[in-house]
Amino acid sequence: MSATLRVRTLQAVSVIALLGLWEAVVRAGYVDPLFVPAPSAVVRGFGAIAPTALPALGDTLLKTAIAYVLAAALGVTGGIVIGSVRALHDTLHPFVGAVYGLPKILVLPWIVLLLGFGTAPAIAYGTIHGLFPILVLVMGAVRDVDRTLLTVARSYGARPWQVYVKVILPAIVPSVLASLRLGVVFCLLGVLIVEMFAGVRGMGSVMGGLANGFRAPELFAATGLVSVASIAIVLGLDHLNEKLSHWRG
Amino acid sequence: MNIVAIRAVILVAILALWEIAARVGNPLIYVPPSAALPALGELLRLRSYPDLPEHLALTAQEIVVAYGLAVAGGLGVGFALGLHRVLGRAYGPILAALYAVPSVVWYPSLMLFFGLDAASKIAFGFLLGFFPVTLAVLAGIRQVNTHLVTVARSFGASSTTVFTKVMVPGMLFTLMGGLRTGLALAVIGVIVGEILGSKSGMGSLINHAYGLFRTADYVALVIVTLVLIVASDAVASLVERRARRWTA
Repeated sequence: MSATLRVRTLQAVSVIALLGLWEAVVRAGYVDPLFVPAPSAVVRGFGAIAPTALPALGDTLLKTAIAYVLAAALGVTGGIVIGSVRALHDTLHPFVGAVYGLPKILVLPWIVLLLGFGTAPAIAYGTIHGLFPILVLVMGAVRDVDRTLLTVARSYGARPWQVYVKVILPAIVPSVLASLRLGVVFCLLGVLIVEMFAGVRGMGSVMGGLANGFRAPELFAATGLVSVASIAIVLGLDHLNEKLSHWRG
Repeated sequence: MNIVAIRAVILVAILALWEIAARVGNPLIYVPPSAALPALGELLRLRSYPDLPEHLALTAQEIVVAYGLAVAGGLGVGFALGLHRVLGRAYGPILAALYAVPSVVWYPSLMLFFGLDAASKIAFGFLLGFFPVTLAVLAGIRQVNTHLVTVARSFGASSTTVFTKVMVPGMLFTLMGGLRTGLALAVIGVIVGEILGSKSGMGSLINHAYGLFRTADYVALVIVTLVLIVASDAVASLVERRARRWTA
């Protein structure tokens, strides 16, 4: 048996064994199905919540998409500007670093107070969540551009815009793509947190409601749905990334 | 003018603008610094929230327990997956896929499972801190120079000696980074958990102040929480520097 096949078999066997064990333990009555429902109950739960959960997931993903576009646009341009202008970088980087490192959750109540319940705080908080990882990574990438390349380009008479378009931008593409892959998870995380904290719509509020109602099978199904959606988004971005790097040569 | 002075000027300018904007706008919502400072004084003199020390201690305890579990679990799983090829290749990708899921999706299940008390916050802090530690162990093991391991073995070093004398020093740099990120995330997990639903701890006080529109108290509580967070990171950075000096 080849190594890859062995690994695949081990993966498949462990997942199936885990699900089987889980089902058996619940059926045998070792754990309370109120807290840990059997996988079969979770599947039935998915059937029950699908009519409400799927539109809610769409709502959440739409907010995430808006937040992501804002975070990416602000993060990448901000990162390039702050990273490439020395004076700006030297003055601002402790502030950016501090805001990046601190838990954004502490300002969440204030954002909700300011923007109310609904879509606006979710988008705002999702944007803040996604913005800083992108900003910090792009800033660092611009700082890491080979100084020699810049000097050579300038000494050959490149204009400032040419330095940006011909040297800095091509050099930072891999880091920008990596930051964008990271950023989308942060945006989704931010949107879900707001929906759980003060949501009236979206998957976060659906899950919060199911937890409060002690509807474990439905809650597990909803958790699985969001997990699958976010893994699919990240894999999709990875795929896109690979295609782009292929095209870049 | 040097850089520190410029930064100070920017900070003062932000505070001044904030003060003006808050007074022109709605002082209740925008909380000018001049209102936040007295509130902080009241809070620290235990007038606005007399039970602040208990809540602060509870949050700190939750962080310590969550982080301890995350380090133990992360090191255990990381070494198990990193030192056994087949296990690592089978479960590594599953772990990476789970890491791509926004962590907060697990929180409602944890809340249902562990209730509103400290246990659900510890579980969530553990979950957040666990991943960076595990991934750092895996990355660290990949970094260890295999020649050094071979040389040590051929000179008759036992597996334990190879582990403590070659592998751990070789991966320490990466490992310390992961341990530090793990702490930051465990702290975030505990605080997010408390704010999303709790009966005690700093998050519950913040929610209480926010719910009653006591915005100045809210800002003061956020400042106290921030001090706790920054202090935990300062301790971590001290330990990290120590460890790096040891390997260098």
